Amino acid sequence: MGKYVLRRLFHGLISAFVVVAIVMIMIYTLLDKQLIFAADNVYKNYGNNEKVAYQYRKWEEYGYLDYFTYTDYLSLLIEKGELTEDEKTKVASIGKKPENDKGETAEYIEKYNEYCAANGYEVVRLNAIMVSPKKYANGGAQQLFAYKALPITHRLVSYVTHLITVDNVHYVEREIGDELENPGIKFTLHDPVYGGEKFAPAIIGNGTKHKYLLYVDGRFPFIHQNLVTLNLGQSYAVNQGVDVFETMTKAQGSYVMSTTTFPTGLTEESADDLHTAVYVSGSMSANNVNSDRFTDDYTSVTTVKSGKSKMGYSFTIGIISVLLMYLIGIPLGILMSRHKDKFVDKIGTAYIMFITAVPSLAYIFLFKAIGGKLGFPTTFDIESTSKMIYVLPIISLALRPIADTMKWLRRYMIDQTNSDYVKFARSGGLTEGEIFRKHILKNASIPIVHGIPAGILGALVGAIITERVYVVPGAGNLLTIAINQYDNGVIVGVVLFYAVLSVVSIIAGDVLIALVDPRINYSGKAR
Amino acid sequence: MENKDSLFTVEGMTDEELFARVDHNSLDSEKITAPRYSYWRSVFRVFFRKKVNWIFLGILAFVILFAYIYPAVVEYDKFGNLMDSTAKHLKPAAAMKKFGYNIHWILGAGAAGQSTFDAIWNGSRISISLAFICAAINMTIGVLVGAVWGFSKKLDLFMMEVYNIVGNVPSILLISVLVLILSPSFWSMVFALTITGWLFIAYFIRTQVIIIRDREYNLASRCLGTPITRIATKNILPFMTSVIVTLLAVEIPSYISYEVFLAYIGMGMSDMSLGRLIYEAESAMVTPGWQFEFWSPVVIASIITVALYVTGQNLGDASDPRTHM
Repeated sequence: MGKYVLRRLFHGLISAFVVVAIVMIMIYTLLDKQLIFAADNVYKNYGNNEKVAYQYRKWEEYGYLDYFTYTDYLSLLIEKGELTEDEKTKVASIGKKPENDKGETAEYIEKYNEYCAANGYEVVRLNAIMVSPKKYANGGAQQLFAYKALPITHRLVSYVTHLITVDNVHYVEREIGDELENPGIKFTLHDPVYGGEKFAPAIIGNGTKHKYLLYVDGRFPFIHQNLVTLNLGQSYAVNQGVDVFETMTKAQGSYVMSTTTFPTGLTEESADDLHTAVYVSGSMSANNVNSDRFTDDYTSVTTVKSGKSKMGYSFTIGIISVLLMYLIGIPLGILMSRHKDKFVDKIGTAYIMFITAVPSLAYIFLFKAIGGKLGFPTTFDIESTSKMIYVLPIISLALRPIADTMKWLRRYMIDQTNSDYVKFARSGGLTEGEIFRKHILKNASIPIVHGIPAGILGALVGAIITERVYVVPGAGNLLTIAINQYDNGVIVGVVLFYAVLSVVSIIAGDVLIALVDPRINYSGKAR
Repeated sequence: MENKDSLFTVEGMTDEELFARVDHNSLDSEKITAPRYSYWRSVFRVFFRKKVNWIFLGILAFVILFAYIYPAVVEYDKFGNLMDSTAKHLKPAAAMKKFGYNIHWILGAGAAGQSTFDAIWNGSRISISLAFICAAINMTIGVLVGAVWGFSKKLDLFMMEVYNIVGNVPSILLISVLVLILSPSFWSMVFALTITGWLFIAYFIRTQVIIIRDREYNLASRCLGTPITRIATKNILPFMTSVIVTLLAVEIPSYISYEVFLAYIGMGMSDMSLGRLIYEAESAMVTPGWQFEFWSPVVIASIITVALYVTGQNLGDASDPRTHM
């Protein structure tokens, strides 16, 4: 069984990556790459040549191409020792037009062109745009750069290889290039964040990306780690520069202030969460705010906020509606099948028909209007402490799954009632209640049990319409927002997340029915 | 004893009169003396036996005919009253007072001073067309592919992989990318909805085919040497009719609902379909006095989908031969 599950899981993960590849091909090659600037304000403010250069810089950042400027080339020569800093400043300034280049500069530009041609780069030279002989137009300065389009395979491979990163003590040295005095990992039983006296084990790194690799605090699940991080892809427009997974899991709302003792001993009311400290090169001495508080360059911290994360809100609403689905849908389905063609069955069938046929948008708005009349809040407010704001979103979300559970359970139970073993049990003298409980219900519930993992994991994904109608800051809208803003990084990240969830939930469902139903066996030859 | 004898002898008749010799006829002996049974006649007999089906079929016929005839007869210009600032967001009573008492204004006026009544019928025509075209394409391809998929074990391995992968590509992403590449027009919407839509129908049909394929009567048929195409068309297809009709009853309204959903999240087409009307009137829902603009397309979409769904489900029930008794 274990072997079988592992094989399925492996297979599923491969198909999830194929899905990501397809999505990447779709959004990177089919869509115009100009579209990513649709919601970019910086882009709008640039003009002329600078706008073009900015485009290429951004395209490099988002993995479309490799961008290589003339200045980069000169720096490369310095590294190789073929050029000195002084010479560089001399040859760095290019002419307004190619024919205006000074002798030595022209030589290096020629070399640059040759180098680019040899390495498959396409050179772009933009002549200066002038409004008068002395005055440049807005962003009209001359530009010289080269680019090379990256193939989709390159992008996919680098995405997959960077998916999971394990923090290590060489991070600062290798990725940033700073030398640290004594890189290493330290284990302490008394976390300095709590003043150094309280018992709180922690693993603190120096030279790693995160300062705290493992720590405990009062929030669920109490033990937290920063050692392994998931990089689903960076956001461009939705949540600039932040990873998709973090966008989904980061708390929202207003700051929660608490008395915090910083490494220098300064104590003040702050929302900073010191456990999240990340290394930023040279940041301690950069300003007084940091140098007053921190004793090293681990200064970038996130803040503690009062609300839940996007996924948190979606999950809270989703999981309660899943519970409602089973608590209401199962009894009603049983009731309908026991009173087949009676009044209860007809009412239930009408409800199922209504929910299945009417566009979900229509009945969600209908329930919003009814709920509003009854005095329930119809817009979700993170700051509100009242639990009533959850009522309408949960009900709206539960309506459809309740109808589906009723429909299928009724159907399964009626099918079972007509089967031979039930007739046999009845002829054997069992009471109707006993037959129902011990035979029919048990068999009819197997397909329902199969759907439980999908229901629970599906709650993480959130609901598009419900969240939009009630303005819930949940994860359900992330994909649609990302699509509307052409945020490729978020699209890819969210698709991978959805695909893995769906693979896992199907496998978990299969495992669960094998546990519940002894007839189902994945390891035997009987399969 | 006398009584018993009289049962067998008829007064005043000889044996020759009572009995006539019949020759053996090999043609007549082949005839089966069962009541005549026509499948489709039985389907409609069962279907029309229920009063509720007459009602829903009537509603459906009326809505569809009206949606196609009304916009063809009546000229509708969305921006006809654009410059008239007093024509915007009118309640039915106010609109009728302003423009005269005719059918155009019984649902009031919208954001551009257009008639809501005209707008929803134009929208219905587009939405119904979309649903029927998409359902026709998807069902045709889906049923054909699904039938082959269910029979061929080699194809099954390959198609299951395709299904697992394509099923995990979010459909809203696919649709929005296609709509962006092509143009937000009616036909690119049809293309976006059908390019992968058939796969899910094919999967459903495949499962049904596999269930029936290995039944005993098909096994027997195969043992007797019936060719596979004949098994498919004569043994399995009749079984599938009610499944297909029931599926169709779910599919057609689902395209209308899905179009409404896509338009609501801002990924629909540019044609003024019902979804697009709902999307544009969303802000009107919360403004007192403007609700007619929002609820009219919602209600008409619901009526169309419910009528289609109920009629289709009952037709699906009627096309199951087990109900023909």
